[in-house]
Amino acid sequence: MNCEVCQLKELEVEHFEIREVLRCILHTIVFHRALGLVRPKVIDLELFDITYVQCGDGELEKKIDEKIEQFISWVEKHPNKKSQVCISFYEVKNKHPSWFTNKTERLYWEQWYINLNVSQQQKVHSGKSHPSKIVVDPGDSLEERSARRAALETSLREVLFQIIKFVNEKKDHVPPISDGVVYFPYEVTIPSSSDSAFGMDMIKRMLQTGGHPTMLS
Amino acid sequence: MAPHSESGKLEQVVSQFLLKSLHIILDSRIPSLHPRDPTCDSRVRKSDKWFNLVLGDRPAALDNLNFWHRNLMDPMIIDIILVQQGTAISTSVGNLLSGSPGRTATETVIERWLVQFESPPRGTASQPSEGSAASYKKTYKKSIIFLRSLYLQTRLLPAYRIFKQLSSSSQPFNFDIIYKVSSFSEPFSRVEEEMMKEYRFVPIEALPGRLHVSVTYRPQLSEFNLQPLTTMPPKIISDYVGSPATDPLRYFPSSYKGDRAISFPSKVMHSPTSVPFQRPHSWTSGFHKPVVNHHLAGSPTVYRTSQMSYDSPSPPMERMQNHRRPLHQRAPFYDECQLSPPFSPSVSPSTPTYLRNSESPRQTRAISETAPVTIPSPISGRSSRYISPNFSDPSKLSLPPLSPRSTRLDNSSNESPSGMRLIKKPEASRADLGSAGQKVLKDNKDDSGRFSGLLSSSDSPRVGFSRSSSKLSFQDDIDDCDFSCPFDVDDVDPPDSRISQNVDWKRNLESTSMGRKSQDAAVGVLVHMLRTAPPLRQDSSCYSSRSLRAEVENDGVATTASGFFMPRRTSDALEELRSYREMKDLLLSKSGTRVLTREPP
Repeated sequence: MNCEVCQLKELEVEHFEIREVLRCILHTIVFHRALGLVRPKVIDLELFDITYVQCGDGELEKKIDEKIEQFISWVEKHPNKKSQVCISFYEVKNKHPSWFTNKTERLYWEQWYINLNVSQQQKVHSGKSHPSKIVVDPGDSLEERSARRAALETSLREVLFQIIKFVNEKKDHVPPISDGVVYFPYEVTIPSSSDSAFGMDMIKRMLQTGGHPTMLS
Repeated sequence: MAPHSESGKLEQVVSQFLLKSLHIILDSRIPSLHPRDPTCDSRVRKSDKWFNLVLGDRPAALDNLNFWHRNLMDPMIIDIILVQQGTAISTSVGNLLSGSPGRTATETVIERWLVQFESPPRGTASQPSEGSAASYKKTYKKSIIFLRSLYLQTRLLPAYRIFKQLSSSSQPFNFDIIYKVSSFSEPFSRVEEEMMKEYRFVPIEALPGRLHVSVTYRPQLSEFNLQPLTTMPPKIISDYVGSPATDPLRYFPSSYKGDRAISFPSKVMHSPTSVPFQRPHSWTSGFHKPVVNHHLAGSPTVYRTSQMSYDSPSPPMERMQNHRRPLHQRAPFYDECQLSPPFSPSVSPSTPTYLRNSESPRQTRAISETAPVTIPSPISGRSSRYISPNFSDPSKLSLPPLSPRSTRLDNSSNESPSGMRLIKKPEASRADLGSAGQKVLKDNKDDSGRFSGLLSSSDSPRVGFSRSSSKLSFQDDIDDCDFSCPFDVDDVDPPDSRISQNVDWKRNLESTSMGRKSQDAAVGVLVHMLRTAPPLRQDSSCYSSRSLRAEVENDGVATTASGFFMPRRTSDALEELRSYREMKDLLLSKSGTRVLTREPP
């Protein structure tokens, strides 16, 4: 089975926008891959005039939020870098020890890359970022900020359309739905502390998928 | 073919696909079809299980889908239509309901959805039996994914924004969204086409055919002047019955005779908000529906909810009914208003919504029809909240509401036992009074409201003066109970306590009535002062009716009373006279003839 890969359009986000943007995109992707019985939950973004849909699964929401927090911590330590958040869907295959890992084998059948360019413009602040804290750089003018915000909103909307297009175009690789399972097993990968480890993760995944990932532009 | 054959199952999948698509689209476009709160409804219906997407109750329109959509090959065209008011806004709900011919409505198709199952003609090469034993299962799985994306897509298109406006705000708007489902539709004009964009979903494989879904939509809706409807300026009525601005220092006797006929209707007349029947409320979106029918293509399969009366949930009918229903509800409600001033029509059901609009912007509009029923309770809560704390403070009990003491003469003897009881035990009774007052408040909200009416807007007739005899006894109860008024006669209290009462009272008066925002409340208090003011001369014969009453009730009152005034100086008295004169002038200017009629004979 091929592993379909989707590279989403790069988004230029400010630090305080990361949470909302990531939540929106990750939940949208998972919603399209939650093929079990789902009660959709419609969420209006606060920073943008965009509505997205969640699965309505509390556990899922919590896990995604945790990952987002980890990513934000990473971003704080590595400012002004282009980063990627990857969400992968896999199938659990026969358990057999291999030279690489003696855990159950994961067969990744789909990967999404969320490309973010975080512009770190805020002043140095404490490690913990409160969700409601919005740090504003007084250097930027109001027009610039609103223009950037509008551009991000348009881009985010385009990303969501991109997701819709992708899920409708590629359906054959989706595994069959198991009874009682709401969403496929997934994994959210954020850049780890060192770049090399991130690269290793990528190689590991490529080896596991067993094929050359098709890149969508 | 057997009913459970592949094609039969495929037909079922396609049929349910159409229904589900329609459900998703209508749910995100038509406010009245929006369920109350899908998250609260935890049960999973049979229709929810289709495509693993729980959407809640299906609109009744879907039940009739099979009625007109006989052939699965027929396209299902869903038009989302924006209806806008064309004429000046009428402030009369009656006009709205009657569908005044003066109103015009503009209809614009802002979205057209096309859902069609395209099947190749029979006899072509691809047959369903070709290795597609489970093709309907594949179709089903792909449909699940597709419907997820459709669910999201409907929320990303521009029309969703105005749907959100309509459904989340309790304010009326100058537009509404309706829909039309048919198997064919008039093509757009060239001009219209140029203004619209098209989005085609990737066709879903449904061997032997395919499911096509596309939408033609207006990318910009800003050209439509979509605004909340302001039929009248939101006026903040600061002295409405039960408001904190009015003097909450009211006293309620424990033995309220229960007279109900108060003159609140006249207060209603004065109210700028007028009678609720004539006041427009937040259901304007449905008023034009009877008018909207004119230029639809004459097709037997046209499916307009405005024509269908199959079920009350149909949007226009529902709204029409909702227009009427609250009025009917309000009719007995209005009668109650006479009993319960906090719910007086000047504070009609919509007023709190109006005033509290800023507080609850997210209030779902679908709940608007329940607003008239649910609103009164907060008001009553509010009024009692404002009232009761004052009664917990015994010192504030010393400032009773306005009551015409002149009328107490005749019936005072009737109430003397209670009055005696209360007068004889001032200290203890205060606490009792506090609790009694509170109890009375809680039990008789109308009483509190009535008294607030007494103390509030001076342009409303004073309630007490139009009472029947039973009302007089009620006043006596009040009068009897305001033993703590320093001007009252009390044979039990020693003079110094009376003095302190006076001082307290005066302090209270100054701090309360003078310091309060509402002039009207102060006026009420001052009127009472005028009426209960002691004479300047320490002469028992100069006492007003109050002294007579005192004599009737208590012997030897005069001496006590006169003794009470001993420490006061002439200058104080003169000053007081001056202030009383001012108050009187003020009263006269404000209250007009009413005060004059209340002068003691």
